[in-house]
Amino acid sequence: MEQSGASLLERDLAKLIVQTLKLKADPAAIEPEAALFGEGLGLDSIDALELSLAISQTYGYQLKSSDPQIKTIFSSLRALAAAIEKNRTK
Amino acid sequence: MRETPLIGPYDVDDVLAWDQEGPRTVRRFLADAASLAESLPDRSTALNLATNRYDFLVGFAAAIMRRQVTLLPQSRASQTLLRIAGEFPGSYALTDRGDAIDGIDSVSIQLRGDQAPWPMDIPRIPSDRVVAVAFTSGSTGRPVPNKKTWGALTAVARATGARLGIKAGDRLSVVATVPHQHMFGLEASVMLPIMHGLAMHAGRPLFPSDIGCVLADAASRWILVTTPLHLRACVAEGVNMPPGGLILSATAPLSRNLAQQAEEHFHAEVHEIFGFAEAGSIAERRTIDGDRWRPLEDVLVEQDGVSCRVRAWYLPAPVPAPDRMTVDPDGTFVVHGREADQVNVAGHRVSLGDLNHTLMQIDGVQDGVFFLPEEGAGLVTRLMAFVVAPGKTSEEIQRQLRAHVDPVFLPRPLVCVPSLPRNETGKLPRESVSELARQWLERAGHDA
Repeated sequence: MEQSGASLLERDLAKLIVQTLKLKADPAAIEPEAALFGEGLGLDSIDALELSLAISQTYGYQLKSSDPQIKTIFSSLRALAAAIEKNRTK
Repeated sequence: MRETPLIGPYDVDDVLAWDQEGPRTVRRFLADAASLAESLPDRSTALNLATNRYDFLVGFAAAIMRRQVTLLPQSRASQTLLRIAGEFPGSYALTDRGDAIDGIDSVSIQLRGDQAPWPMDIPRIPSDRVVAVAFTSGSTGRPVPNKKTWGALTAVARATGARLGIKAGDRLSVVATVPHQHMFGLEASVMLPIMHGLAMHAGRPLFPSDIGCVLADAASRWILVTTPLHLRACVAEGVNMPPGGLILSATAPLSRNLAQQAEEHFHAEVHEIFGFAEAGSIAERRTIDGDRWRPLEDVLVEQDGVSCRVRAWYLPAPVPAPDRMTVDPDGTFVVHGREADQVNVAGHRVSLGDLNHTLMQIDGVQDGVFFLPEEGAGLVTRLMAFVVAPGKTSEEIQRQLRAHVDPVFLPRPLVCVPSLPRNETGKLPRESVSELARQWLERAGHDA
């Protein structure tokens, strides 16, 4: 599967996710619009915590679950990348 | 029989819980619980699945008022819930998200306290009444029930408070990152506050910045009930916490190094609780002071060969500890690790035999084994599984597993292999699986 029009940030983020969470998936095969949690990649809240640390260290963006948008932000690779693009400090 | 009040000591206008929606007073809580109790179905057992801690407590209290027993499932996996409901016929589910569970009657927790009169009397509960059932993982693929009496829950809460120097009526706010359906969560984040008149946060902050925000928002000195996992994330992120609080960690051993960093960074004492679902919390230590655990008041730990037994007046019989431990003559003890079959993933204990059993029940699986690799650099080390299932993909097996086991135990990765290195007696020595895992990880490393 090829990522349909994945941006550079989306591709970097896919690599970060696979690396951080030791997934078996090929980063290039993560569909930008597919669900990350539950049925999609099957991630759970510990993954979210682990991923939040990696995102904070890499992009200087601290995720908050009190953010009303948090469900949307974590809904897909594309949404997560968009949130990082907007809030990144490095 | 001795009876003790459901909550207290509080004044009716004290804050019992709070979250972003504001404070809930004791008056409001009693009215919420009494009004829910009236609307509960006439059944004997309720699976309390509420995610909000205040909703959970209202459901728990309402069930107690109706003399119903609260079941505390260790996961929301649909098959686990169905199996528990099957073993307790006539169970129904209490939920707070309006989500219905397939195959189980569900009742949504409605908070109607603002329209209801509040009961003037705080209910009194007999100490010997079973009020909750916690479940542990056995080796048969069935969750093992552990009955909890009101006396046991209140005794542990009081003994924990006494050990931490908490006095009834202290102005303290309790914030927790652990689920309240977990034994430690129930004891430290629900029973501890309501037995000492403290305020509890109704939410469950996950990310370090959430934890920082909630603590900054607390109206008084705080207690953070958490796990080594969350604590490590908070230290790594350098989150700010108002100084002078108290951190209470459990579910997995905390390293002295991390405890030291946390004490310095957050200007808070870090204490650990040791326990297991069968007996509840049994001992405490301030991690920087050393490895030895000090039993809570009324708890006696007895050496029994390499294992130990726990006695307390509120336990109907001595409970064997699932860990290998050494007890000193003064009663303090050192924990060496889990019995071989038991593993801990992100603070959740499970029996590998149980997981293997579940794996083997899956359609198309001929053989399979779970394996916990050595600890790596990540926050948490996940299980792996090797499966022999010709014609099936690892995704298909993974999808079916998800219905049966807690997500935290899902193997990462699940590797399909042609056969497992079983020896001539059909046994699968740990070293062989370990070698298989080593080879696989090496190969995966090359591919990356």
